[in-house]
Amino acid sequence: MFISIILTLYFDYIYNLFYSLVLPPTDSFTLLGAIYDMDQATLKKRVEELTGMFELGDLLKTPVRKLSLGQRIRCEVAASLLHSPDILFLDEPTIGLDVVVKHKIRELILRMNREQGTTIFLTSHDTGDVEQVCRRAIVIDHGVIILDQPVKKLKYDYLNRKIIAVRFDAEQHLRVPEGVVLEKAGKMGARLSVDTRICPIDEAMRWIISQGGVADLTVEDPPMEEIISTIFTGRPAAG
Amino acid sequence: MKSIRKYFIVLRISLQNAFVYRSNAIGGLLFYTLFIFVFFNLWRAIYQGGEVAGYTLAQMVWYLCITELIVFGCKTGVFNQMNEDVKSGSIAYQLNRPYSYILYQFSNALGSMVFNLLLYGALAIVLGLAIVGPIPGFRLSFLPLGLFSAALGMIINFFLMMTLGLTAFRLEENTAFFWIYQKLVFMLGMFIPLEFLPGWLQNIALCLPFSYVAWAPARLIVAFRWDLFWQVVPMQLLWAAVSVILSAGMYRYGVRGIQAHGG
Repeated sequence: MFISIILTLYFDYIYNLFYSLVLPPTDSFTLLGAIYDMDQATLKKRVEELTGMFELGDLLKTPVRKLSLGQRIRCEVAASLLHSPDILFLDEPTIGLDVVVKHKIRELILRMNREQGTTIFLTSHDTGDVEQVCRRAIVIDHGVIILDQPVKKLKYDYLNRKIIAVRFDAEQHLRVPEGVVLEKAGKMGARLSVDTRICPIDEAMRWIISQGGVADLTVEDPPMEEIISTIFTGRPAAG
Repeated sequence: MKSIRKYFIVLRISLQNAFVYRSNAIGGLLFYTLFIFVFFNLWRAIYQGGEVAGYTLAQMVWYLCITELIVFGCKTGVFNQMNEDVKSGSIAYQLNRPYSYILYQFSNALGSMVFNLLLYGALAIVLGLAIVGPIPGFRLSFLPLGLFSAALGMIINFFLMMTLGLTAFRLEENTAFFWIYQKLVFMLGMFIPLEFLPGWLQNIALCLPFSYVAWAPARLIVAFRWDLFWQVVPMQLLWAAVSVILSAGMYRYGVRGIQAHGG
């Protein structure tokens, strides 16, 4: 089985849209179609599909130099999928993008995987990418794989901690039980870090409720940055 | 045919790109005109009538128009492009693409070369006719042969510059090679015909590629002779092949040593 792989890199420039900042993305698509020996009919169909998926309609005829970074990246990722690769390497595809565009790109990546069946290797320093997009995480340190796990298991295994944000109806002076750390306290609210090895989460919840007057409660996993930091430093996070 | 088609598409897009940026050529065209004007006056002062080393003044001016057209007008920046591609690491991103990097770069450059050849070629004709008029005895029927030689000269120039640019794989600083190459091309045919040089230097030059970039085509166009054609064109073909092999070899040699560093 022929496996096509494309390496797509996003550092401080965009490469799939080639050297031409004057000509529009449609010319790059034509060029890439020729490079990958695609016939005209297949190329046309593929461009239409990708234009719909990535919402490129207005962008196709716009010179690349007039596109914003987020627009270019959308065109870039679409260009990298033109010849339907089986495997796609994306190196920091959301770097430098604002939160709205990041979200869009992440959605598109998930969609590529779901609808096209494309296997995606995503490298990123943005743990949001890992959390929201990836099913499996591989951590590499100095060329050595030090972790290879599903992302859900990663959180469960590496940090036995939950973050609880609570807001009360009235002012509270909290005396936290063992295993719970008061990270931040306001007059009527608090942010608590619960070490679930010492204080199981149900106990922590019961304690909070017993304080009375709970107006709002949020339970979260610790940020992915902490998990990654723990993996690299080999030290469990405080809490 | 499918696999060659991609290079024609690259050429087409490069040509389109050159056309869109056509206003960038204005500076170059002005410089070219200035250069021809200055050296026409220089040669007019030197000549004082008659011939020098077998060239009349008219032939000399047309000679300069043609050598400048080939070397200056049709320059591509391939040396800097290679340097940048290697030093920035972007050459690595092209390794997995299903095309020849060398041919891709050539197709890319060919677009701008064709555009510049037409633009500067038109200017060369206008300047030549305006300054000295047509060359007496010039026969249009020999022009295609001269243009064929010019094409070979541009190929030699391109691939040798590419080879020098690709030394960036191994050398931190390689601009000296660029300057040395430029000066050799300049002195061995671009600025003055080979015939103006001492005999021993002519013999050495005829064994090297530099004079086949500019001198050979310019000489054939301004004063065509069949014996000269059969003398220089085979050498141009040989040096064109050598320069292509050198650039391909330098690329393969360099690519083997590529190391990717993440971060």
